[in-house]
Amino acid sequence: MEIALIGNPNTGKTSLFNNLTGSYEYVGNWSGVTVEKKVGVFKNHIGRLIDLPGVYSLNPLSKDEGVVTTYFLEEPVDRLLNILDASQLERNLHLTLQLLEYEKPALIGLNMVDVAANRGIQIDTEKLSQILGVPVVPVVARSGKGCDRLIEVISTNSSHSKVKKHVYYGKEVEDAITKLSIELTGKTDHSPRWLAVQLFEENEYVKNYLSNILETAKLESYISDLHSLLIQDNDHVKSLSNYIYLKRKEVIEKILEASVRKVSTVVPLSEKIDAIVTNRYLGMPIFLICMYLMFMLTFDWLGTPLSDVLDGILTGPVTIGVEKLLGAIHASDFIHALIIEGLIAGVGGVLVFVPQIFILFFFISLLEDSGYMARVALVMDRIMESVGLNGKAFIPMMIGFGCNVPGIMAARTIETPRERLMTILLTPLMSCSARLPVYALFVGAFFVGHKALVVLSLYVLGIVVALVLAKIFTKTLLKSETSLFVIELPPYRLPQIQSLWRSTWDKGKGFVRKAGTFIFAGSVFIWLLSYAGPEGLKVDMDNSFLAAIGNLFAPILEPIGFGTWQAAASLITGFLAKEAIISTMNIIYFVPNDASLQGLLSHYYTPLAAYSFMVFILLYIPCLATTATIYKETGSKKWTMFSILYALFIAYVLCLIIYQGGKLVGLV
Amino acid sequence: MFGSFKVGDKGKIINISKVGRLVQRRLLDLGITEGSEVCVKCVMPFGGPVMIESCGQCIGIRRKEACLIEVERV
Repeated sequence: MEIALIGNPNTGKTSLFNNLTGSYEYVGNWSGVTVEKKVGVFKNHIGRLIDLPGVYSLNPLSKDEGVVTTYFLEEPVDRLLNILDASQLERNLHLTLQLLEYEKPALIGLNMVDVAANRGIQIDTEKLSQILGVPVVPVVARSGKGCDRLIEVISTNSSHSKVKKHVYYGKEVEDAITKLSIELTGKTDHSPRWLAVQLFEENEYVKNYLSNILETAKLESYISDLHSLLIQDNDHVKSLSNYIYLKRKEVIEKILEASVRKVSTVVPLSEKIDAIVTNRYLGMPIFLICMYLMFMLTFDWLGTPLSDVLDGILTGPVTIGVEKLLGAIHASDFIHALIIEGLIAGVGGVLVFVPQIFILFFFISLLEDSGYMARVALVMDRIMESVGLNGKAFIPMMIGFGCNVPGIMAARTIETPRERLMTILLTPLMSCSARLPVYALFVGAFFVGHKALVVLSLYVLGIVVALVLAKIFTKTLLKSETSLFVIELPPYRLPQIQSLWRSTWDKGKGFVRKAGTFIFAGSVFIWLLSYAGPEGLKVDMDNSFLAAIGNLFAPILEPIGFGTWQAAASLITGFLAKEAIISTMNIIYFVPNDASLQGLLSHYYTPLAAYSFMVFILLYIPCLATTATIYKETGSKKWTMFSILYALFIAYVLCLIIYQGGKLVGLV
Repeated sequence: MFGSFKVGDKGKIINISKVGRLVQRRLLDLGITEGSEVCVKCVMPFGGPVMIESCGQCIGIRRKEACLIEVERV
């Protein structure tokens, strides 16, 4: 049995999904957390639950909303679980009425009853259930209250709505629905009434679906006939879809009158906080202070000491232990070198940065869960608008600080195709967590006094480059006027430690897993390349295959400050995954621990070259996984190639300016 | 008109048809249309967006779109 979970954005669908299925999907407090449908199995194995992106209506505006309509048209839906935000019942019910017209067994989960009660809204669930003709179960998805009862009702109750026609659309529309329904009967598995109403609402997806059954011209004439008929009789009718909307609204008002009681109105805490964080003058500084604190904690106050401890353990007891073990089993020199110089150096070099990455992810989760994310989009909109984007594009970019892949996926919530494409192309410039180990290593070696500041400058540089490029793209490649910015600002909520930890772990485990698989295999491969050369095994590293490959590219890198084969080789592996740069460097400059690697680096880089190198890493290429995601999301080889090439170009030009310019003004 | 509204001012929407089609549709999704009561919660500097409250929810829209919405003071 397939049960579809559907509701307005940010009503807690994913929280409920996790509670009902025991999965750990990603939860956040802004509209558009889920952009692709997700499937889970109910805890009691009664069937599968499909988590769909949030929609206000079945008539989609953006791509993530289209996922829902396509699902309804093409997949077998057995039952619907509609989740409603009790504190926003009026607009939530517009969707519910459309779902009931779909004529599949349905069940309503009334979420956030606690929030509604705090605002003085009392809902008579019995009465609501009676009017809608389907069961209504109050739940609090965040804490899991009421979920057991919900599962019980889903498993036992499979009732179609007892009410046949929820909305009477007026004689003209009803006649047209009947006429169209007769033509459709027997030719489709869906409810003809639902299809007809959606068609009249100008739902393009439904129109495409119906054009497989009836001629497009005929469909068009149905719409235009009805439209002119309505305009003739009522001059206040603006459009067919608006007319249908108003009819539904009338019905909803009656439902609310019968089932909802408003006790009192209290000023929610949210508004008091908003008066500060989205204040005219304080909004932007507060955002920057938040970011600064995040970086200080990640790099200076908390992250670095923890990383140092971990490094001490890995290079001390772990290495010594492994060496003893290898000695005890009389391992060959080759195996010994492979494990100590290849694996421990390569994988260990990446693992050392786990504490810093988890701290960063913790803060990103905190921003997401509290509801501040949507405010940031609001605060940033003016700047984003001036370069041809909108404030919503800032959310994918912020997520991109964690990992570019979900960032690019999150761009689906942007309604206009042009702004969405721009956001996809620019998100890779956001400095993801995999680039962080490289910065951590280099700032530790060259900028000890200003670690957080130097790293923050790189993050800001990524954003500035993205904004400048956005402006350039808007003027040249992607010219178009349409821009849309309407954003819901959800109420703040106190993040729960449990969900924060879960969300941090969810993001962070990918990094750890990658270290155990991708980086593990990569380290072995890189070490072999450095161990073998044209003259055989165990060659001097400068004569190895790795050096030969690196030397091909080194001359190109000379003008930007790091024309060594070591730098070139590590940049090549960086395309596979950015943290592979660190593994490669650890293998190439094999030294007993991180601290001495930092000392060694000063022989190969000047501080200016080190900064140039970090800038190059920030910008030069999206990693393999990101490239694949760009291809999947744009569906275009051309734009995927473009995203790689423009990044290489910008990185090179910028590093050239920084390095040569820096030398000119006397920096070293 | 909305353009002259300051933080804390309340009004009722009387005409929303001059706003772009997509924005109009999105506002409708959020339950904001003719007859809705709105209150300006804050205004971002340099011509940035405005935050309005309607039926207990907060929404951000751009200033230039807000200016196209006709409202009467209540």
